[in-house]
Amino acid sequence: MKICKIPKKDLDLFASVLPAFGKLYAPVSRGSGYVFDQPLSWSEISLGYPRTLLPPRKFFLPPREALFSFDAREGYRDLLAEASEPQVLFGLHAYDIYGLNILDRVFAQGRYADPYYVTRRQHTAVIGIDFDPDEQHFARAMNADFVDSGFDLFLSDIGPDYLVRVGTSRGDDMVVMSGCLLSEPTQADIAEFKRRSSERHAAYRTEVELGDLPEILEMEYHSAVWKELGDRCLSCGSCSMVCPTCYCFDVADEVDLGTRAGRRIRTWDSCLFKAHALVAGGENFRKSRASRIMFRFYHKQRGFVAEYGRPSCVGCGRCIGACPAGIDIVSVIRMIRGQVDAH
Amino acid sequence: MTEAKTVLIIDDDPDFVRAVGHLLQSAGYVVTTASNGREGLAQAKTVRPDLILLDVMMEDRTEGFFTLEQIRDVPALRTTPVIVISSIYSDHPVFRVSPESGWLPADLFLPKPIEPGRLIAESARLTASEYAGRLVMEKGSDVR
Repeated sequence: MKICKIPKKDLDLFASVLPAFGKLYAPVSRGSGYVFDQPLSWSEISLGYPRTLLPPRKFFLPPREALFSFDAREGYRDLLAEASEPQVLFGLHAYDIYGLNILDRVFAQGRYADPYYVTRRQHTAVIGIDFDPDEQHFARAMNADFVDSGFDLFLSDIGPDYLVRVGTSRGDDMVVMSGCLLSEPTQADIAEFKRRSSERHAAYRTEVELGDLPEILEMEYHSAVWKELGDRCLSCGSCSMVCPTCYCFDVADEVDLGTRAGRRIRTWDSCLFKAHALVAGGENFRKSRASRIMFRFYHKQRGFVAEYGRPSCVGCGRCIGACPAGIDIVSVIRMIRGQVDAH
Repeated sequence: MTEAKTVLIIDDDPDFVRAVGHLLQSAGYVVTTASNGREGLAQAKTVRPDLILLDVMMEDRTEGFFTLEQIRDVPALRTTPVIVISSIYSDHPVFRVSPESGWLPADLFLPKPIEPGRLIAESARLTASEYAGRLVMEKGSDVR
């Protein structure tokens, strides 16, 4: 992996050439939080953000997208061209890149690759940046606090400079295009990177034991914890909407009034919604809220481990802040482990 | 009778705006101005100028670059000729990405201080009906 460095004071100049690789999106302050959006100026970008309201998955699996249109006379027309718009995501944290790597396993590397997701992933440059964890981050426990793939460039704070890891040939193109803004790091820079990396690793305040969790979940299938969580959960789906790795979707056809043309629309869905498991004939396989929230935990912490070898949670902590009922994934895991009593 | 062309000047230097404004008005252009990128973008959307003169170093030293991206993001302004006028290359020699390399979605880059005769000639060229537009120039040169 190629490594270089850039002075922090010149990062604005570097960001100025990035639109040559696609529409630039970066963390900017909006209301009381942060979102990935197009910045109007460099000073609008908040690189010290704790986390964004929505994860970057919205750039790859939009909340609502038309997959294809159909017309009785012209037939089908795919809308992949819209997914080919080049974009640059600047300032992603490691856990969000890890989230994308997890989505890759499902939508790009699985048996059935999703052409819309794959096209967007191919046309999107990802530039990561490190961060200081707060009390809601538990990415270290999910092994998602450091990434070695899934990005074009990754910036690590080493004082007056950023150490830049180059992950792809597109990232290398960015470095080459920026000319002398980037330079070779010294041994002292590498030493500072290692020192700060250890420091950041140690800065996580929230710990979750994962090792035997799938087995414990298996044993606690009938635990009273799920009933208690079901009583508190509002089935609003907020946790799913803010999750970097949730990917449930709904598909429906929107037909024009003349019924001769229309479009197939894919929208975000949530396994917590009452109608999520409702099928034709009126049968609902997950009628109770307890069963729905339980299966969300089982999917992320058990089913995904069995299928892909790791949980699909990346420890970003968004769901903790988003839940209006105060359901906290870290506490739930501790309750299941018997480390904390159910309320 | 030909309708006068409108030029939008986006620059935070009031002396520059006044001087260039007078110069263009004397050449028959209608001039409108904005003192920062945000205001300039709003003006561009409502005025729909025939030409935009855009400074780079305003409140932020790269503000004009960001403003230009926003301008190009508006469908009605995608092909509006833009002349970027800046001293960023001389003020920051570390920035050596040539404006001719295709990364900057402008029609022309002019270094400050500008030469009045050149500005008038280029304004006339870029607002002429025969001007084929930036998209033609861009072919094969854009990284995208």
